[in-house]
Amino acid sequence: MDVRDLGRITYEDALEVQLALVEKRVQGYIPDTLALAEHFPVLTLGRLAEERSIIDRVYFEERRVPVVCSNRGGKATYHSPGQLVLYPVVDLGEKKKDVAFYIDFLERTVARSLRRLGVPAERDGSRRGVWSGGRKIAFIGIALKRWVAFHGVSININNDLEAFSRILPCGESGIKVISVRQVLGHSVDMTRTKEIFTRQFVSDLQSEYSCETRSIEYHAIRGEVKKSGGGNHGVEAAGTFRKE
Amino acid sequence: MELRLPELSEKNNETILTLWHVAESERVSTGQDIVEIATDKATFDIPAPCSGTLIKKHKTEGEKVAPNGMIAEIREDGS
Repeated sequence: MDVRDLGRITYEDALEVQLALVEKRVQGYIPDTLALAEHFPVLTLGRLAEERSIIDRVYFEERRVPVVCSNRGGKATYHSPGQLVLYPVVDLGEKKKDVAFYIDFLERTVARSLRRLGVPAERDGSRRGVWSGGRKIAFIGIALKRWVAFHGVSININNDLEAFSRILPCGESGIKVISVRQVLGHSVDMTRTKEIFTRQFVSDLQSEYSCETRSIEYHAIRGEVKKSGGGNHGVEAAGTFRKE
Repeated sequence: MELRLPELSEKNNETILTLWHVAESERVSTGQDIVEIATDKATFDIPAPCSGTLIKKHKTEGEKVAPNGMIAEIREDGS
C-alpha cells in the first residue's frame, strides 16, 4: 500500500492527483493508496448540494474563498488548513462491492483514530459522518470509478470552524461542528496525527476487508505540487521510507 | 443491450441520476463512463458494458432510479 502526504494543496490540485491515481489503480499499475492533504480555504459542493447549502455567500466572497463543484457524493462542506483530509484510492472491486460497507468502514477507522488521539468519537446510526459529543467532527463524500473509490473524509483537527456556521454542512440544518482542538483544549501535532490516522487506516483495511498489505510505502511530500503532471502524478516526493 | 442500475448495496438510500457523459446517438466503447449516479454520500460512474451506440436514455439528470431500474439502451456493434 502506498501512502502519499500531499501537504498543503489546493482542492483542485488534490483532485488532479487523485484522478491520476484512480486511473492507474483501475489499470492495476499501483496498489491501494492513501493520500493525505490539508487544503487552502475552499467551499466544496458535492453532487447533491442545494442552493440553500450556502447560508452566507457574502462571507465567502469577502474572503475570496473559492466555491468548487465536486464530483464527490454528499452536499456542502468547507476545508481549510488544520483540517486533515484522507483520500483513499482503494479498489473495492477486488475486495467487496458494497458502497455502504465502505462508508461504514471509513467512519469506523476515523472514529478509532480520533479515540487514539483522546477524542471521544462515535458513529451515529441515523446520520453519516463521525461525531463527538453530538457534534460533527468528520465529513464523508466519496466517488467510484470501476469500483475504485476516491475522495474520502475530512476531519476537523486544529482548523477554525467559523465558516461552518455560514453553510449547512452536508445540507443539514441544526448541525453543530467541533474539532479535535476544541475537544482537547489544545492543538495537536499534525505529523503525529497523520501517522495515527495512517496506521489505523491500514490496519483496519487489512482486518475489515481481510486483505493482505505486506508493507507500506510512505511518500512524504514537501514543497509545491508540480503542475506539469508526469509520471509522479504531478507530485514531487521529498522522501520515502518503508514501514513493515 | 439494456443498461440497468447496478447493485451498490447502498442501504436505505435513493439513487439519483446526476450526470450524462454522452448524448443519445453517440458511439460508446466498452468500459467508457457513460452516466453518473449518486446516493447520499457517493457518486458512481457506470461504464458501457459493450461497444455500440447509445440509442435511448430512459432517465434524465435529477431523476430517481429504482434498484435494477432501466437507465439506457445501447445497440451493440454488429447487432
